[in-house]
Amino acid sequence: MGAHDSFHSIKIDEQRCIGCVTCMHACPVKAIRLRNGKASVYKHDLCIDCGECLRVCPVQAVQSMTSKVVELAQFKVKVALPSPVLYAQYSDATTPNDILLALHKLGFDHVFDMALSCEMVLIAIEEYLNRMTDVRPIISNYCPAVVRLILKNYPNLMDRVVPIEVPREVAAKQIRKSLAAELKLDPTEIGIFHLTPCPAKLISIQKPIGVERSNLDDAIAIRDIYIPLLNALKEVGDDDLILQKSSGVGISWAISRSNVGGLPQHRSLTVRGLEEVIHILDQVEAGKLTDIDYLECAACPGGCVGGPLVVQNRHVAAAQVDTLIEQYGVRTRLDRRKILRSYEENYLIPGLHRKTRAVSHGQVDLVKALEVMNQVEETIGRLPGMNCGACGAPDCRTLAEDIAAGDAVLTDCVFMKIKELEDEVEGHRRKS
Amino acid sequence: MPPGATSKGIVLSESVDARFRKLFSIEGGNFQAAGSVSKQIKMILKQLSIDNDLIWRAMIVAYEAEMNAVLYARSCEVTLSVSTHCVSLQFKDRGPGIPDIGLAMTEGYSTATREMRERGFGAGLGLPNMKKTADRFSIESVVGEGTTLQMELDIP
Repeated sequence: MGAHDSFHSIKIDEQRCIGCVTCMHACPVKAIRLRNGKASVYKHDLCIDCGECLRVCPVQAVQSMTSKVVELAQFKVKVALPSPVLYAQYSDATTPNDILLALHKLGFDHVFDMALSCEMVLIAIEEYLNRMTDVRPIISNYCPAVVRLILKNYPNLMDRVVPIEVPREVAAKQIRKSLAAELKLDPTEIGIFHLTPCPAKLISIQKPIGVERSNLDDAIAIRDIYIPLLNALKEVGDDDLILQKSSGVGISWAISRSNVGGLPQHRSLTVRGLEEVIHILDQVEAGKLTDIDYLECAACPGGCVGGPLVVQNRHVAAAQVDTLIEQYGVRTRLDRRKILRSYEENYLIPGLHRKTRAVSHGQVDLVKALEVMNQVEETIGRLPGMNCGACGAPDCRTLAEDIAAGDAVLTDCVFMKIKELEDEVEGHRRKS
Repeated sequence: MPPGATSKGIVLSESVDARFRKLFSIEGGNFQAAGSVSKQIKMILKQLSIDNDLIWRAMIVAYEAEMNAVLYARSCEVTLSVSTHCVSLQFKDRGPGIPDIGLAMTEGYSTATREMRERGFGAGLGLPNMKKTADRFSIESVVGEGTTLQMELDIP
């Protein structure tokens, strides 16, 4: 563990960081602190890799750890698995098939229409909903930030998270197996890359939950491939090669609406944007929403089209997705029975529900914890309550907690510092 | 009687000093803030590393009591107390009161289905289910003045 534990899908470039408090205030889990005038992910165990800091940084100091296109060279065979969000980045005249062909021209030996995997996975999710009828709602798992939010802040809801492998993993697993056999290669010689709208997908590749390791090798940001792909699109002619296999059902995952034509027998609810997701999870935790079968949660506003690593405005992209759904229909061409034959082998992830319990502590620790909590409340009473962030913590409460943990001191608060200085001056005056 | 069942009169060896208490207030009819007190209570219990299952049960009763207060009361004072043995929640509201507590506490005097209640997280969890979810539950009500709910959950 050690250094690996501090790995995140974003990093903050100290040179660029101007020490404003924008990212610190935007962080929904209060993981960021300012130290020596620079922002950093200070509380690694709190970070859920949602990428909000990257989205809001005014000077682009928060950078995505996704790989650059040039890093592909190390693999003998290169495979692209584009998020359906990629289909909504270009003009109306550009079809998903054009995009897949252009990826070929860009140097990917194999290009797979991941939207089709979305359709496969939806069939498996429907099966899970049919089999597991006593727990409601079941929560979607394709957004890595949401899964990490649940794991860390709603551990009791972990067994509601659907234990079905996500589309990118299902596709990568099948591709690696079949390509290795077909080309007589060692599976490690095949590099499988997800073209992603957000940095969060990278964390699910580097530090997956519920499985030993990811089937993907790396992720490339859609915005980093946008221009090379735009150029490659010009070379795409009237190719007869049909790479697009998906219908609108799979493409709809770009706007996080897997219920489009997909779950007719079940009641589903879609919630997008982390703040809204937190609200809805609070309600689920309080025992509400049991009449919903499938609760789809995406951290980004508007769903995956609103990811921080995209190019197209999310509203424009969403409209584009709607057009594509209409164009390619809301009926999957997949054979349901065929998919379900490998339900256990290819889709189910039993490891996801392994209980991740907080280590229960003894009474002595609770005594200490209660003392600390009293200290925190006492400190909060002294702080100004302005939540200005000048101390380097996002709000007064968090500063009080940091002080109790020994990570900060009271005079980190500028108002406390001023008071201390005034008292000192007053003391000197009295002496003289 | 389990330790800490009635906090008065029982001297808990270490917990007297370690006791934590915090007050919150709920404004009746303020739907914008509805749920925020439960949320703050959850954060505190989480920071105290209280067992997840207990936090969950505390959330179920706190959220339900908070929503009742927002829906029916003019205002409500909430007291969270934590000792080494017990998490205690008091909701003391100024509101219409409950004319027939017996009826309100009757099983089935609720819109939730039986299975939901058996599992302890049904929609429309009413007073009987708060009673079921907490380890100890008491209710007092004066019509025209208000209702006081006292719920305790034992720390394992």
